[in-house]
Amino acid sequence: MNKKKFRAFFVILLVAVLTLTACSEPLQQSDNGNGSEKNGVEPIKIGNTVALTGDVSIWGQSCEKALRLEVDKINAAGGINGRPIKLISYDNRGDSIEAVNVAKRLIEQDKVVAIIGPAMSGLAIAMSSVAEENKIPFIATQATNPQVTVPQEGKVRKYAFRTCFIDPFQGKVLAQFAYHRLNARKAAILYNVGDDYSAWLAKYFEDEFKKLGGNITNKEAFRSGELDYRAMLGKIKQNNPDVIFLPNTQKEAALAAKQARDLGIKSILMGGDACGTPDIVTLGGSAVEGFYLVNHASMDDPDIQDFVKEYKQKYGEEPVLPEPVLAVDALYLLVDAIKRAGTTEGSALAEALENTANLKVLTGTLTIDPKTHDPLNKPAIIQQIKNGEFVFVEKFVTN
Amino acid sequence: MFLQTLITGLSIGGIYALMAVGYSLVFSILNFSNFAHGTIIMLGAYIGYFLISWFYSSLAISLLGAIVGAAIFALLNVSLAYIPLINRKAPPLYLMITSMGVSIFLENMVYVTVGSHFYSFPEIFKKSSVSFFGSEISTLDLFALIFSFIAISGLHLFLTRTKMGTAIRAASYDMTVASLNGVNMNRLIGVVFILAGAFAGIAGVFLGIKYMVYPTMGWITSKAYIAAVIGGLGSLPGAVIGGVILGILETFVSVYISSVIRDVFSFSLVIIFLVILPAGLLGKYLEEKV
Repeated sequence: MNKKKFRAFFVILLVAVLTLTACSEPLQQSDNGNGSEKNGVEPIKIGNTVALTGDVSIWGQSCEKALRLEVDKINAAGGINGRPIKLISYDNRGDSIEAVNVAKRLIEQDKVVAIIGPAMSGLAIAMSSVAEENKIPFIATQATNPQVTVPQEGKVRKYAFRTCFIDPFQGKVLAQFAYHRLNARKAAILYNVGDDYSAWLAKYFEDEFKKLGGNITNKEAFRSGELDYRAMLGKIKQNNPDVIFLPNTQKEAALAAKQARDLGIKSILMGGDACGTPDIVTLGGSAVEGFYLVNHASMDDPDIQDFVKEYKQKYGEEPVLPEPVLAVDALYLLVDAIKRAGTTEGSALAEALENTANLKVLTGTLTIDPKTHDPLNKPAIIQQIKNGEFVFVEKFVTN
Repeated sequence: MFLQTLITGLSIGGIYALMAVGYSLVFSILNFSNFAHGTIIMLGAYIGYFLISWFYSSLAISLLGAIVGAAIFALLNVSLAYIPLINRKAPPLYLMITSMGVSIFLENMVYVTVGSHFYSFPEIFKKSSVSFFGSEISTLDLFALIFSFIAISGLHLFLTRTKMGTAIRAASYDMTVASLNGVNMNRLIGVVFILAGAFAGIAGVFLGIKYMVYPTMGWITSKAYIAAVIGGLGSLPGAVIGGVILGILETFVSVYISSVIRDVFSFSLVIIFLVILPAGLLGKYLEEKV
């Protein structure tokens, strides 16, 4: 009996130890500006919630590195009004629950003045209540869902901001680009009826394209998990549209492109930012040649060349876009707001962020819409796939 | 347009038929729905994909490897998971639940060993489609249709012209009587699973080339299962007919009615059909089947 009890106790102990080490391990912390603390000037602490491990960590790790690079530059130039910045980055693993924990830890334990990140809408929505409660503003990087800053029509979260464009804007950009640049007058849409991102993006595109005077010949739907779109594409083919809009994931868009080409459809294909991952090329092969997509940033964007160069010099590799440049934009936005507010107190800082106008940031000029806390008329990058590479076409501003 | 729709429907239906054959084979002998079949198809697709990436686009090696590999997996599946249950006279319901377990186990094995990446077969056919009276037929579909037809005819010949085939058909009517007449049951079940596995390998490679290879691709076979039910579970010609009917029905509904309500519409038709003909088109009606 005793032996059994001892064994059980031992097992529980082992499990406890393992869980504890597993929990504490991925929480990394990077310190900056430690030297300045000796001079008696208290640093300004800025938190960063970022995925350093997990599926989306290639972007997250690059984002953290980019922020470190820029913070070092700001500190070398004298910091904010003489106070250095201290960046505290914690791993959220791309997980909503972890994002809440990280936000709590940053606010309650480290007493940061504001948080940069997260990159995903789900995480941002989950942690927004923590920020709201503690009156600490956060600036999401790549969270495109409208609800991150505006949970319901006419109501804005006071402490939530972002530096990326939102889904309605993407639809608008693509519709205007198709109409004005590609001279498309007839467009067809193939969307996923079981996915919010896809269904709404399809609608935003449709509304704008019709407003411009274009004609939507077909609006066909499929369901998540479905793989064969030839029936819908065959129907689309009859009307011979100039463009086919695929507001889908890279996997679905690649499949649809393959099947469209198999059916002999010659229309121009285009997609949203969800298609902007390199594996669309491995999955779609020659069928996605010429595919247009909208993205947040591009390596060929002339505005970010200095940043890319410095990043390469420091880390010996290229940044993984777009998250790093969006995070750097967020950092500039925050630094500017702290300067204008003259304080790091949460509600004053949020008001200063809200009133940002024509601020020069890495990817262009940034104006925050006080009604939605989204960037106003942020330029979107249009890319095209040529010879299996994403090629920069232009920086597109809507009108 | 009508012709194009028919061609598309046929090519989708052909894939359903190929998958449905595997279900029907197992069902005809063991009276249970082998849900692990979809997972074996997925494994076949992975084997085919890795072979083709190693051997520079040789479809023959990939297809052959997938057939052999999937057959081995199917044999392992039956001898490790089902035979022990059959030997203890477990009712078919337990076999069905075991098959669900096997399916989830294998799928997660792929997640932890290969990962959740999507893979796409290299482009095998230089010309992706051929014109036919103003409609486009994909070269792969044409090849797949012909190959499947040959494979299914081969299976039909095997079942009607060989001693083993006759034994399988006998066992599908009554297992007890067949074993009383000297048929080695365990061996027969093994052969049936090897055949079903071989068909899973073919279906896996074609599915992989046509679409993509990923761990949950086996779930597309739920449609093939429905096709097998329409045709009458346990009946081989039924499985083929059911697959083709379902593929064509789906395609026509999405072209001529609406792609948004396609599944709502076509599956209401399936339910109505089964209410009228509970055993499917060519199935025999037996109450205890699960």
